[in-house]
Amino acid sequence: MKKSGDTFWQKLWKQKALVLMSLPFIIYVIIFKYVPLWGWLMAFQNYWPGNSFFNQTWVGLENFRLLLTDPVFFEVLRNTLAMSLIKLLSGMFFSILLALVLNEVRFAKFKKITQTISYLPHFISWVVGANLVMNALSTDGGIVNDVLLNLGIIDSPIMFMGIPKLFWWIVGASHVWKTVGFGAILYLASIVSISPSLYEAAVIDGASRLQRIRYITLPALKPVIIILLIINVGRLMNMGFQQIYLLSNGRVIEYSRIFRIFELDYGLKMMRYSFATTAGIFRSLVSIVLVFSANQIAKMMGEERLI
Amino acid sequence: MKKGLSILILMLVLALAFTTVTAAQDDLKEFDVFISVSLPDYSGSSIVGDIIQKETGVKLNREYLVGDLEQKVGLMIASQDYPDMLVAAHFTDKFVEAGALIPLEDLIDKHAPNIKKYYSKHLDALRKDDGHIYYLPQLAIPFEPAERRYPSVGFFINKRVLEANDYPVIKSFDQYFELIENYQKEHPEYKGQKTIGYTTLFDGWRRFATTNGPMHLMGYPNEGGFVPVKEGGEYVVRPYYGSNVEKYYYKKLNEMYNKGVVDKEAFVSNFDQYLEKISSGRVLGTINQYWQVQQAQEVLINEDPDSIMVPFPVTYDPIVEEHVRDKPYVQTTQGMGITTACEDPVAAIKYLDYLVSLDTQRLIQWGIEGEHYQVDEDGMFYRTEEQLKMFQDPTWVRDVFGRHYFYNAFPSLTGLGPDGNSFMPSRQPSAIYANSSEAEKEVMDAYGVKSFTGLYNKPFEDRKYFPLWTITLPTNSKAQIESTRMTDALVQHIPTLVMDSTEKFETNWDAYTKQINGLMDAQIEHYQKQIDWRMENW
Repeated sequence: MKKSGDTFWQKLWKQKALVLMSLPFIIYVIIFKYVPLWGWLMAFQNYWPGNSFFNQTWVGLENFRLLLTDPVFFEVLRNTLAMSLIKLLSGMFFSILLALVLNEVRFAKFKKITQTISYLPHFISWVVGANLVMNALSTDGGIVNDVLLNLGIIDSPIMFMGIPKLFWWIVGASHVWKTVGFGAILYLASIVSISPSLYEAAVIDGASRLQRIRYITLPALKPVIIILLIINVGRLMNMGFQQIYLLSNGRVIEYSRIFRIFELDYGLKMMRYSFATTAGIFRSLVSIVLVFSANQIAKMMGEERLI
Repeated sequence: MKKGLSILILMLVLALAFTTVTAAQDDLKEFDVFISVSLPDYSGSSIVGDIIQKETGVKLNREYLVGDLEQKVGLMIASQDYPDMLVAAHFTDKFVEAGALIPLEDLIDKHAPNIKKYYSKHLDALRKDDGHIYYLPQLAIPFEPAERRYPSVGFFINKRVLEANDYPVIKSFDQYFELIENYQKEHPEYKGQKTIGYTTLFDGWRRFATTNGPMHLMGYPNEGGFVPVKEGGEYVVRPYYGSNVEKYYYKKLNEMYNKGVVDKEAFVSNFDQYLEKISSGRVLGTINQYWQVQQAQEVLINEDPDSIMVPFPVTYDPIVEEHVRDKPYVQTTQGMGITTACEDPVAAIKYLDYLVSLDTQRLIQWGIEGEHYQVDEDGMFYRTEEQLKMFQDPTWVRDVFGRHYFYNAFPSLTGLGPDGNSFMPSRQPSAIYANSSEAEKEVMDAYGVKSFTGLYNKPFEDRKYFPLWTITLPTNSKAQIESTRMTDALVQHIPTLVMDSTEKFETNWDAYTKQINGLMDAQIEHYQKQIDWRMENW
């Protein structure tokens, strides 16, 4: 602790203002993020709410065994990761694309209008959003079927929401629709902060628009993209419960059941609290592994890191 | 002067407000109740409610179900935040398992003479394994059961179809669909809209309307997911999922779907849309339990009497001897209980006891003598034309009269009373035929019956366990998990079975049976054990 003569306590005293300022957040994290963790003990019990904590039966790793041997476990894991990845990658790709395009638009009014329209869906709740999507895809006067019918591409309406293999892509597309505008704002803000002198120099050197994007804008965005990627990889296991829960229906369950829906249906709803907790722990463990691996990869690539 | 007057008025208003507030707080005892039915909130006053509140001095704060019951129950138990009393449909047992309900037998013994008397026949069946009674089911049958106008379940067919065919007796599923198909061909439109040959309900938990079909085709009343078959004096639990009859049922629906007879939207419609379709009069056939089509039927009776739906006990083969009509039974696995959170259980049981007294039951179900019903010289109750009219308006009965708020899910009596009057006015023996609408009478006359129940055979022999579906699967048991997976499989496969092309039916059927095989063993075992137990102990 001895660094340039200061002891830990001296340093603490010197930075008391900073410490005091961060204190509320540390307390917040402890109360809301760490204290509830003791509930994880439920995963090793056969928890029943009528009994007190000390009166529960301990079952060791039985719940983990049940979880890992559940016939739908791998299906659920696959769906969770696949849909999250589709959403993560397509969401980022289209947001960056939109930001780049908007940045190049010279007609300010058009830019404003496009931006506003594209980020409006962000403020709609998924309850409304999911209904809009289902209406658009409905066989009974849904706009997608109507357009396809009128163009003569299909002869009879397609029941999009009833095709299991299509579900992932519907989720991905509706995610892009809802988040692309808002996501673009973030990238646009980073683009604006790039020094104009770089662009000017490039113009003098005879760089075309595409070349300016390729060699100036994108490299400048790289750190932001990587940080956001690391953050979002940590959320892969938790993404989009509302959206998927609201969009899914029984016919596509093979492809729509994600981890959190599984926890709800086979855990809480059946009052298997211990099982639900176990699944939750598993979800957290996977998330931790994912974050650290993403972080490690970023480090190896010599990029910005989160941790 | 002006200022002085306004101050005076203000003081008067304040004084008035103060007195009413204190008066309201003074003598009313309040109970919080959770009730697992969906009703609009109680306005606080009604004809029945005002009398009950005055006589008991008890005010109930009712919380009716909004959204998903399973989830609500799960959260209530997890948080252990209970009201004073509660009823949670078929999840009530979960509260017993969680230790949330208090034993009632001593309370009933000491403080509830009416419950003791009128529930006496059912108290044994209400006892759990630990010997305690935790809740009181909504309907007790203290004396004789009463006849009903409609059987509880059936394959319904539009009156227009019957009329066009001179009121045939419908016995088999093939015959049923033949009538519908032919009629639809001749009348493709009704009132400017497309005729729907057959529709079926598949919305959320109500989907049992569809999936129970094979059970009824086999001639069984509603037993739930499995049927106890009588084999040499024993009741052996057998599945009908995956059976030949089920295959025949869905194959027929699949065939009819591809012919345009079965409603294209059936599997994506919700309950409201289903009711709306039936009440438009353009649906020719559907299978359901009567209480799920009742609302639509009431609309039809008033607005389109020619299109009322008539139930038949259709079977897969005319030689099957059907017993689709069920024996009245008391639902012994759900009811209203008093929770550990209730501070004055004695007052609570006294209140429930007051509700099941003969007088209160008459008040809640019939009303006030002279105002809502008359008594003839033999002491039998009846309603005049005018009184009947009042009670035909469901919103009036609910909001102004207030029956729903003291009857639905609350302990109450049904069947015939000691004087021969039915507790439920619509089941008054003299009333069933007499109070039927003209259209209903026309159909009954054509078949020579006095109620639609008359179209059915007699119920099964006395099956003490009846029905199987009141057996609950214990939490975290293999059977419970199987049953959840089973539901998933049904939801996933049945729409495909019906809506895919006929050539693919065999493949789809194989996929379906492959998935449900192995999802029934633990369930059957549990049901069998419970049925044996009931046969021995009830």
